Amino acid sequence: MADPKTKNHIWLHLGLISFTVLALYPVLWVLALSFSGQQSVGLIDLPQDPSFLERFRAILPLPAHWSVTNFVEVWTEQQFGRWLWNSVIISLMTTLLGVFLACTAAYAFSRFRFPGRSTGMLMFLVSQMFPGTLMLIPLFIIIVKQLELGNTYLGLVIVYATTSIPFCVWMLKGYFDTIPYDIEESALIDGASRLTIFWRIILPLAKPAIAITALFSFMTAWNEFILASVFMESEANYTAPVGLRFFVGGFSSQWGYFAAGSVIVSLPVVALFLQLQQYLISGLTAGSVK
Amino acid sequence: MKQPLRIILALGTFLLLGIFTTAQATELVLWHAYRGAEKNAIEKVAKLYETKMAGTRVTTLAIPYDAYADKITASVPRGKGPDVFIYAQDRLGGWIESGKTVEPIGFFMDEATQKQFLPGMMDAMTYKGTVYGLPLNYKSITLIYNKALVKNPPKTSAELVKLAKSLTNADSGRYGLAYWYTNFYFHAALMNAFGGRVFDKDGKLVLNSKETVASIKQMMKWYKQDGIMPTEPSETLVSSMFNEGKVAMVFNGPWFIGEISPSVDFGLAVLPVIDEAGKKPMRPWLTIEGAYVSASSKQKEAAYDFAKFLASEEAGLILALEGRQLHTNAAIYKDKRVTGDVVLNAFHDQLSSAEPMPNRAEMTMVWSPVTTAMNKVVKGNATPEAALKEATRTVQDSINALHKGR
Amino acid sequence: MSISEHLKRSAILGLGISMLLALVLSALLFRAEERDLGLQERQRLAVLQANALVLAVADTDAEATRKRVQEIQKLDPQIESVIIVAGAQLLASTRPEDAAPRQLRREEKPLFDLSNLIRTARETNRGEEIVRKKTIQVEEAAQGHLVVTMPYLAAGEFAGIMQMQFNLAAADVGTVADDTVSLPLLMLLLALLAGVMLRLDAGRRIDFAKLLALAVFLVIAVFYQQQRIGRLEQIEKQDNKSVAASYLATAEQFDRLGYLPLLRDPAVVNLWDTDHYQRPRGLIGADGSISVEAQTRQLGKRADFIRPILWVIDLLAVAVLLMFVYGYAARAYAAFKAHIDAYIYVAPAMIGMLVLVFFPFMYGITLSFTDTTLFNESLPFSDRLIGWDNFKAILGDFNIYQSTADGISWNYQNFYWTLMVTVIWTVTNVTVGVTVGFMLAMALNTDGLKGKAIYRVLLILPWAIPNYITALVWRGMFHPQFGVINQVLQMFGMEPVAWFDGVVSSFITGLATNGWLSFPFMMVVILGALQSIPKDMYEAAEVEGASRWQRLRYITLPLLKPTLIPAIVLSVVWTFNMFNIIFLVSGGEPAGANEILVTKAYKIAFEQYQYAYAAAYSTVIFMILLVYGFFQTRITKATESF
Repeated sequence: MADPKTKNHIWLHLGLISFTVLALYPVLWVLALSFSGQQSVGLIDLPQDPSFLERFRAILPLPAHWSVTNFVEVWTEQQFGRWLWNSVIISLMTTLLGVFLACTAAYAFSRFRFPGRSTGMLMFLVSQMFPGTLMLIPLFIIIVKQLELGNTYLGLVIVYATTSIPFCVWMLKGYFDTIPYDIEESALIDGASRLTIFWRIILPLAKPAIAITALFSFMTAWNEFILASVFMESEANYTAPVGLRFFVGGFSSQWGYFAAGSVIVSLPVVALFLQLQQYLISGLTAGSVK
Repeated sequence: MKQPLRIILALGTFLLLGIFTTAQATELVLWHAYRGAEKNAIEKVAKLYETKMAGTRVTTLAIPYDAYADKITASVPRGKGPDVFIYAQDRLGGWIESGKTVEPIGFFMDEATQKQFLPGMMDAMTYKGTVYGLPLNYKSITLIYNKALVKNPPKTSAELVKLAKSLTNADSGRYGLAYWYTNFYFHAALMNAFGGRVFDKDGKLVLNSKETVASIKQMMKWYKQDGIMPTEPSETLVSSMFNEGKVAMVFNGPWFIGEISPSVDFGLAVLPVIDEAGKKPMRPWLTIEGAYVSASSKQKEAAYDFAKFLASEEAGLILALEGRQLHTNAAIYKDKRVTGDVVLNAFHDQLSSAEPMPNRAEMTMVWSPVTTAMNKVVKGNATPEAALKEATRTVQDSINALHKGR
Repeated sequence: MSISEHLKRSAILGLGISMLLALVLSALLFRAEERDLGLQERQRLAVLQANALVLAVADTDAEATRKRVQEIQKLDPQIESVIIVAGAQLLASTRPEDAAPRQLRREEKPLFDLSNLIRTARETNRGEEIVRKKTIQVEEAAQGHLVVTMPYLAAGEFAGIMQMQFNLAAADVGTVADDTVSLPLLMLLLALLAGVMLRLDAGRRIDFAKLLALAVFLVIAVFYQQQRIGRLEQIEKQDNKSVAASYLATAEQFDRLGYLPLLRDPAVVNLWDTDHYQRPRGLIGADGSISVEAQTRQLGKRADFIRPILWVIDLLAVAVLLMFVYGYAARAYAAFKAHIDAYIYVAPAMIGMLVLVFFPFMYGITLSFTDTTLFNESLPFSDRLIGWDNFKAILGDFNIYQSTADGISWNYQNFYWTLMVTVIWTVTNVTVGVTVGFMLAMALNTDGLKGKAIYRVLLILPWAIPNYITALVWRGMFHPQFGVINQVLQMFGMEPVAWFDGVVSSFITGLATNGWLSFPFMMVVILGALQSIPKDMYEAAEVEGASRWQRLRYITLPLLKPTLIPAIVLSVVWTFNMFNIIFLVSGGEPAGANEILVTKAYKIAFEQYQYAYAAAYSTVIFMILLVYGFFQTRITKATESF
């Protein structure tokens, strides 16, 4: 690209780098803790009357000694691998179910005019408004007592998917709205069915949006801990966040293990994001479809 | 050639027993919140029980502490959940008041079982005169010190202050003493030394007493006047300062032992006597974990028998030596392996001046207002008298909302 | 079919369906009430006998007690058995298989526990100087068979429990013979007849026929309901009579046997006819006379309970009626048929929502109209129902500040203070999140920028790592002595700040943490939205000489709107209810000043065990957000954009 606009962007890079460093600073502390082999969050170690440089060294997030024992312990002490696997399955199922249901609903909200449309949209929003603290017991009554889905993947998937659907519907509808209607109109005139249009035209065009909602659905399921610990009745069925919480809470907290576990748990999210990134790359413009 | 024969016979009997008993196999479910060594120990005890009681199967389930109480509250009153569960006494009163959660077991319990425990332990399992659980282990705080900095642990508050002052250098962040002094649980040791109470024996709130005020003033003397403690303490702060050698002495419990870094050579001693309180010793609160029979259990007698086994000397030794728990069965403290263990012994010593934390449901309402009051005092925003008065009013209001006539 | 033709049938359909609805619902309510009355009568009869017997054996020794118990059981055919349990001992029993006294057997553990429960209930009521625990337990073992357990006293002190089993299947004498089918049928027929005769006018908003339909409905419904309330009162009066008769018969018998003297004085309190807390009801005098005043109060109480429920039923039915009369129902049906496609697309997600969100919802809202706490959870629902009191307590408390000598001191526990903090919290957080996210997204969308992918991945890390630990790290960073932030301040020669001591500085800790946690989400959402803006639009604008700002103002922002508005609306709702960060970072310090509404609700529920109050708090939060959502969608037409 010999475009004159393709500059070096030095200032932009500088700004972005400094912001990234700031944003990563707390993350680096988590990393430092996980590689320290220790269990408590490290404090700033200062000599008497510290100089500027000594203060600077003190705020660098580096562990005193490097060690991978935290990672080894987290991985071997409990069946962490198994729990991670459960998490992956549950989160992927949630993503599939959530995004699928949200896509169909959002498409209808975006493309059809029907009575109750805005009420329906509002209903999805409303579902996010009731504070979750008191939801545990009624959810337990439905999922475990009535549907008898305690100790199953499905029970959690249903709950997580319904938690993420409102967001997905709202976002997807917003994205669908930006896709010009004339493309569909011409297809309709050509005799294509709604389903074909949805599948062949809308979905490919909405890839960035679907990528984002998928990421969101995945995250909803990925980090949830309280419902997973309440619904599951055998250790083999726990998810990774449940496993992580064993290290903290109650009287003693092994923050080192927790940090190492957190790092492990965030890796799949990063991997997923790397996969989804390609849909966020510029190039899918309305012009390229015409 | 006798040995193999024996094994075969034993195996045969075992198999036969197994065949006969599978028809009426009892399956017990135990919930706990342990991990690591504690979890392995409790699982070992469960296995041991299975071999002792042919035909009984015990399934254990570990639950993260932060979700544990919610899980019990959600499932047991709705007919789900375990046969036996282990929890500290602090939630006991609440579960009993709300009903359908903890089964009373006084009917099953004989004299010998009651007598086998260390003093005070059964009190924590008793609510308004009815026994609800078997005590398993206790926790309390004690004095833990860095041997490199402290040669002889202080026996009195005067010694403590003198020693701590010599080890304090606030400019470089070094202190003689650290504990989570704004947390009421830790402060209770001092309060009890002065004779302060949360509830009187009839359950009336007596938080706002001159004894409690005196105890807060004592804490403030250490913090402000003597300057031997760091600001804004927390569990994390205390443990990392101790591990980095920045603090010589801490008041902390058995859970802290696992957090001490291997490079620190530590010792344990009984909490000091407070000269200002008429030479009374500091009396920390005991948190006592008990095994409770779930009200939703279909086999309460079998569940009780298992809970009784958990509280027995045999199980106690495993839980103490392998799980590093301070078991409640008095007999284990005569065992050589336990008496030879510095940590277990030190906490057992502290037991002579310690008392169970109240198990009333109303206790839950006390923590937050009192912690707010302590913070206000520490930050100089209120006098101990005024802060306690306000906290008492808040707590009393929430208690009144619960004690509503019908 | 035209609308006017629809309307002709609408009157019949509307009146018929609404009448049916009102009749069925009220009939269900009245049937439940009648059952309750029947049960109440049986319970009163049983409790009366039990109270009498306990009093009759209170001052006798064990042998005499056994004798009296046997005697009474033989004399009264309704008493199936009597047992007295003291501790782990069965003291007396009329069951032939029992050789009392003896130790309780293993399977009799429930008796032992029940004895402890009742003893504790008595002690609790006395210790707290209020009455909140039932000391009489009544259970219906089988239809008409009641088991009553109450304290057994010896020399005025609790000594154990007495448990009596009654067969009262034949005792339900208080039923008033009545036909429950023909009256409602007649009402329904009347309504239909009115419907046939009415001619509705589609053109006019209010016409005579519509008013008449409403009037017909109300007259019939109210007549029916009044008639049934009258019937309930009759039954209740009958019940009082039969209880009084039973009292007199038993008292005379006890007097004759020399157990207890019968005092024929209406002023003496009748200690036999008590509620389950052993408080005299005051309805029947010691001479067996019925106090008219107390009876009127008793009837009024029941009517007061029923009336609001009837109003709700009538209101519901009127709504149905109006739907038909005004043709909404017809139009809704027509619309449903016309847009069936759309509804099919929406249905799966909607059904999931309905089941899993709206049931918990109703659960919470119902709870908020009770006074449920940890201590009375197990009481029946109707005992806990209190109406609007929780809401009045929350919204009616205007004790926001006090004027003291040192100036104004805010009351941080007050709802309005917390609401204000919550609103500021939400506005600042969403502003920070959207601004930072937007700027980053714009930067990362720059053409030809190298390393975009790396920035993007690094910048989502705050979102990817479990926030439980990052919040802790942030809390650590704000530590006044050992925290990084104060170290940096000191590096540049500034004074350290005691972050959690001040209201504003403590607020900033939460804001910083939450802003940090939420910008990656906003960034990703906006990045996605930027993809759908066609590049050629920018190119065209540039050709026409639009400045960078103009391009942003007139191309980017308008095209981002459809996705940005939903994202903002959602993040307002989430931030409003953002529990974790407040809870983990500042913990509401200092002194609860930085608590937001959800953390407050959590504390009320789990630290103070006032479940209903917390539910009411949550309902208020919900209503605030609902109003916000409603106006937001109206103003920005977020649901109507394109």
